[in-house]
Amino acid sequence: MHHKVLFILTNIMNKQLEDIKVIREMMECSSKFLSLSGLSGIVAGITAIIGAFIADFYILPLNNDFTPTHEEMFHKMLLLIVDAMVILLISISFGIYFSRRKAIKNNQKISGSLIRKTLYNLSIPLLTGGIFAFIFLLQGNIPMVIAMTLTFYGLALVNVSKYTYDEIHYLGLLEIILGVAAAIFTQHGIWFWIFGFGFFHISYGITMYIKYDLKKDEKHHIEIK
Amino acid sequence: MKNIISKLNKAFESRIRLGIMSILSVNDSADFNTMKQLMELTDGNLASHLKSLEGLGYIQSFKQFIGRKPNTSYMLTEDGRKCFKEHLDALEELIK
Repeated sequence: MHHKVLFILTNIMNKQLEDIKVIREMMECSSKFLSLSGLSGIVAGITAIIGAFIADFYILPLNNDFTPTHEEMFHKMLLLIVDAMVILLISISFGIYFSRRKAIKNNQKISGSLIRKTLYNLSIPLLTGGIFAFIFLLQGNIPMVIAMTLTFYGLALVNVSKYTYDEIHYLGLLEIILGVAAAIFTQHGIWFWIFGFGFFHISYGITMYIKYDLKKDEKHHIEIK
Repeated sequence: MKNIISKLNKAFESRIRLGIMSILSVNDSADFNTMKQLMELTDGNLASHLKSLEGLGYIQSFKQFIGRKPNTSYMLTEDGRKCFKEHLDALEELIK
């Protein structure tokens, strides 16, 4: 008799434990985008560093012998924009690729409305910052271009962090601090950029990869019947 | 012990209903297709559970059009939120 009661109780307990897992999983996957992979951060960081060096060594240096003509300035601006676009494109492509891979591997379901919300919240600060950066670029004010891209990227991360990992929030704050610092210490701008988009992304990516991606393999998936 | 178990809401015994309540408790609203996709369910299966939760007054539905397609979204009622919270509290107590 006693054993029977104990058996029933254990059964009830097991069901409740599984119930709690279902509740947590549904709450998480419906409100947070957790397929973001640390590898995306690493690739984005490396790309940014290469892009920044190309800009600093090949595009930006001026021949000091004479003042550049308008044509030369225009040419440099165009190259900078192409450089930035290529960095962005490579980072985003790898970001999508690694996220898809992670989602498939962990059998994570991603809700379409969540992706829309994430993209919407990300794009408002990013587009605003992009416009500001473009205005400063047209004025030939490269230090402010660097400050604007860092600051608004940071704001975008803070804004979107409620839909993904909390760590994104702190990465965003760091980028904002660097952006403001880059606006003050204008002569070292490119280094702030390399730190913000390069090293921060790489170290963030490695941390996240170790913390979430490697561990996720053990995750137990429950069928909802 | 028996007392705690009796506090568990019978309406949430099904995993699907539990899933629906969980999704709606952390989102202002969610539409039919989103929930179907998240829980990997068939239309009929999800619809019947949504209907019964709506019948109990725990959730409410509202129809809207996205382009020309009708789209049904759901949200928790105040009563639903309260009952779900009580159910979670009971679960928590049971595990302790």
